[in-house]
Parts: sequence; structure tokens; C-alpha cells
Amino acid sequence: MMALLAFASLEGWAADTLRDVQQAELDRVRAGVADQVHLAAFDLVDELVFGWTNAPVFETPTPVVLAGVTVPVGLGTGIAAMVENHLAAVLAKNPTTNLTLVHCPQCSAVVVHAGPEATIVSRGIDDPATLAALGGATGQHALFVDVEAEGAWLVLRARLTRLTPELPIVWSHTLATSASAPALLRASDDLKSASAARQEYLDALRGRGLVAVPLRVAIRSYDSPEDDQGVPPPPFLWLESGVELSPTDARAWTSSLMVGYSFIPQAYQGLMGQARISRLVTGRSRSLTRPDLYAFFGGAVITVWGPATASFQKPLLNADELLLAADLEGPRTAFGAMQFGLDLRLGNRIGVSVCLENLPDFANSRNMGEYLRILGIGFQSLGTEVTFWF
Amino acid sequence: MALPLESPPAIEVLFFGGRDPSPGPNRPKEWSRNLSCERWDAVAGSHRYPGEIKPPPPRGGYVERFTMVCREPMLRPGLRSPLDGALLGALQTSTVALVDAAASLRPDLAGSTWLVEVFVPSPPVAAKLAFATKNALMGRGLSVSDRTPLLAAGDVEVLTRMPPDEAYPAACARYFATGSLSNSDALLAVVSRDPRETIVHAGICVAGTWTWLR
Repeated sequence: MMALLAFASLEGWAADTLRDVQQAELDRVRAGVADQVHLAAFDLVDELVFGWTNAPVFETPTPVVLAGVTVPVGLGTGIAAMVENHLAAVLAKNPTTNLTLVHCPQCSAVVVHAGPEATIVSRGIDDPATLAALGGATGQHALFVDVEAEGAWLVLRARLTRLTPELPIVWSHTLATSASAPALLRASDDLKSASAARQEYLDALRGRGLVAVPLRVAIRSYDSPEDDQGVPPPPFLWLESGVELSPTDARAWTSSLMVGYSFIPQAYQGLMGQARISRLVTGRSRSLTRPDLYAFFGGAVITVWGPATASFQKPLLNADELLLAADLEGPRTAFGAMQFGLDLRLGNRIGVSVCLENLPDFANSRNMGEYLRILGIGFQSLGTEVTFWF
Repeated sequence: MALPLESPPAIEVLFFGGRDPSPGPNRPKEWSRNLSCERWDAVAGSHRYPGEIKPPPPRGGYVERFTMVCREPMLRPGLRSPLDGALLGALQTSTVALVDAAASLRPDLAGSTWLVEVFVPSPPVAAKLAFATKNALMGRGLSVSDRTPLLAAGDVEVLTRMPPDEAYPAACARYFATGSLSNSDALLAVVSRDPRETIVHAGICVAGTWTWLR
């Protein structure tokens, strides 16, 4: 008997725990959904108030009671408070709507009116006669706002009712946005239409124009030979600049032409001409809000001279030859390079890139190894770059 | 006699969510069923979704192209009861259809003041149905009031014991008899007659006479 009771109580405890877990999970899901919905609801509120700024319902500033804000069934009351606060804040920052929110505690309170005909229990706002007896807001207007999720759409409805015994609705409006439409996140004190906001976004995109001037600092390092018989060139520091062109504002494709100069006193100097084509791989147009990743391919012609550039010239050097080369000018050489790499950009303002270079002239050089070999192509040089666009 | 040959239409899918909306190994059927999809032809679709749907070639194409535009629901399934979800999911279309039916059936009431009452099990859903119906009436340019017609407690006591087919006409008559509704008022009542139904019915009460719309 005791075992049965213990088992029964254990089962009850397990059921309670399961319900608690389910409730907690449901609350978590609700909070996640509310996070997504509230931005869309704010967007609709902004659009509503923007409509009032363009076409005010009243010709003069008119006191309005915010009678109620209701949110999608299934979500908590927290989002209702957020929407209500946002509506009040946007209205306060846009006095040209001619809607002045007023405080009316009797309007939302439950009032009881007992008369010779009947006893009526209602909200004050639903019974203007009682409201008048309580010294409430007779003759003012009440604003009702409802937000509801209807399939893939979030719909906002609003109506204004005159607080007279007949409670006539003087204005109503319905707005909708879809689950796939990103919120415009308009500033409360600078509301604008959706088309104007989109134009502003496009202007921001176009603000950089189709032509940009990059300034790049690059470091190229060369792999050591595998047999350690030769001497690899030292790392090269390049300062590059030029012009970058895009055929469209989306900047899905870009091309650049740049020249570079490298100088380390008593070691080397170099000049470089470089052309690249880049393709955006994260999306179809560059983003203002997240990093963009480009893949690029290009070619370069490089000439270097100086005491430290002997490794570019001879297949195999020893220490004596390096010392002999360390005269005033040193050896001079020119070679070509093919580049493949990835470029991560932030707002098309700054970027960091990594590239591998194939140097055909040094395919069999004993002074250089290969970092990587793909499809028979060896990459002797590895470059890291930081770029600023102006 | 040559038979007209019609090439099969080509259908592409535009999905605002990144994934293929059709069921698959990692896409349950329930997820696909919950999507809201609409079919657009190339001309209308390219106007509605410029940049997303390609317009037809200037000289026409060899096949007629359609695009299925799919979206995930705003709320995940399971956050509200199935009845509430069904009623609210089609709130705009159902209320507009009710108002259209009312206005078409009684064009003589264009000058009346319309009142709305909703009788469904859930009070929040009732409030939303009333809100949407009032906005739909306003959208047709009708005069609408927020006033709620009242009945005495004794009337309510009797009416709630009557079957629905008798209760609504009786309530309508009592509204008029007690002066809660005047000759210039028209009451549009939205009613859920069975909690298993996912559609709502509606009736009009004018001058004490009840008429079912649907």
C-alpha cells in the first residue's frame, strides 16, 4: 500500500515537473516570437503615426485617450506594454499629428452605473454618460489599436471613437506587413514613408558611388624551400593605392587597378602594378549592416631591386653571393604573379584579405617553396592585406 | 482538326526564408503545410516583387511562367488554440467578406448606424473580430458606432436557455423593444454557432427583425 502511494505521488511529481518544463518551454518560445513580432509591430505603429503626420484626423490639437492596445492572441502582455509605450513615444515626438494623449484613469476603470432602467457594469470608456458623471473625458476621443498575426501577415487596426453617448467611430485604418518584410527601424522623431526609407537606404548605398579609392597595406611572405638549400626572399611590405570600379550599386562584382610601392632602407625597393576582379559570395548585393565576403582573382607585375632581392634572381644562392649582391643598387628583377584570395569587408570601408600567389617565374626556384599546390599550380607567396576605401 | 497545343507552365518558387518550401529530409510536412503561398504570374509578380521575380521578355516567352511566393507564418503553430488560430488567421478576409455580404444584401441600410456584436467562445478573439468588422464597415464608408446594445439581466437569462435559431431573433426583437436599437440602427452580429467550426456566421438585426447572412 505504501509503495503504491509512493508510486502515485512520484507519478504526480513527474507530471507536475513535466508541466513546468512544458510551460517554461512555451514561455521561451513566446518570448522568442515576441522578439521578432515587436519590431514589425513598431514598424506598423510608425507607419500609422506617419500617416497622421501627413493627413491629420483633426485640424487642431485634440485630446485623445489611449483606450487600449491589444496584441496577437498567444503572446504575453509584455509586448502590449512595449507597443503602447512606443505609440505614446512616437506621438509625443510628432505633434503635427494633432493627437494629444491625455491621462484618463476613469476611462479604463470598470464603472458601475445604477439607474432606474438598469445597472450597467462597463469600462468608463464604453459608457460616456457615466464617465461624464465621474468628471471624465466627455467629448474627447478614444484611440483603440489592435495588432494581430494573420498567417504570414501582421495586421494593425486602429480606430478613433468620439466619447459621446452614441460613441461614433470617426476614423479607422488597417495596415499590414508580412513576415518577410524587414522592419524599417525608423527614428521616432524623423518618420518617413516606406518608399522614402528605401530611397534613403539606396542613397546610402550610392553614397560611395561606383568608383572608390582603396588604400592598402599588404605583407607578402615567401615560403622557404623544402630542402633548406636556398634562401627565401624576405617578407615584403607594400603600400598600394588605385581605383576600384563597380558596374552596379549592388557591388556584386568589382574590379580594381592598383599600383604599389615597397621600401625597406638598405634592403629592397619595389614597384607593382596589379589588377583584380572580385565577386561577392555572401548575397547578391553588399550589406550595410553585416560584413561582406568577396572572392577575387587577379594578376600583378612586380619589379624589385636592392640587396635583399637576390633570391628572386638566381635559382640557388649561397652566403657569399648574398654578400656580393649587397652593393648600392643590388640586383633588379621583374616577374609576374597570379593571385587568388578572399576579402572580408565591413561596410565597404575597411577590409582584410588573404591571398595566395602563384609566381610562374619561380616555379622551380630552389630559393622558394610552395605553401600550397592545387591542380598542379604551386603558390609560393602568401599575402595578408588591410584595405581602407575612400 | 489541329488541336491547340499548350505548353506546360513553368513554376518557380520564391521563398522568403532561405529554404526550399517543399517537404524534404530535413523539412517536415507540417512545416510545409503551415507556409502561406500565393501564385503570381510573371507580369504581376515582377511589379509586386521587383528584382525578385523576373519580368517576361519584351517579345513574350515560349512558356508561361508562374512564381509561388511562400512565407512562414508570423506565429509558430501551437502558440494558440486551433480554433483561435483558424479564426484569426483569416480575420481580414472573413470580416471583409461578411461586410460585403451585409452591404450587398441590404443596400438600403447604407444610411444606418452600424453596431457590431460578436459571439465566439474566446473574449480576446471576439474583441478582435469586432475590431476587424468595424474597420471593414468603415472601409465601405458606412457609419459605425462603438456602442454596445444592452439587454436586461432577465432577457439574458431567458435567451441563454433558448436554441440559437430562436435566441438570436428573440434577442433582436428585445433589442428593438427595449429601445437599445432604434430604427436608424443596424446590428451586425458575428456568431460562432459551433466550437468545432472554423468559420463564423453573421446576421443582421434591423428594426427588431433578424436575418441570417450566412
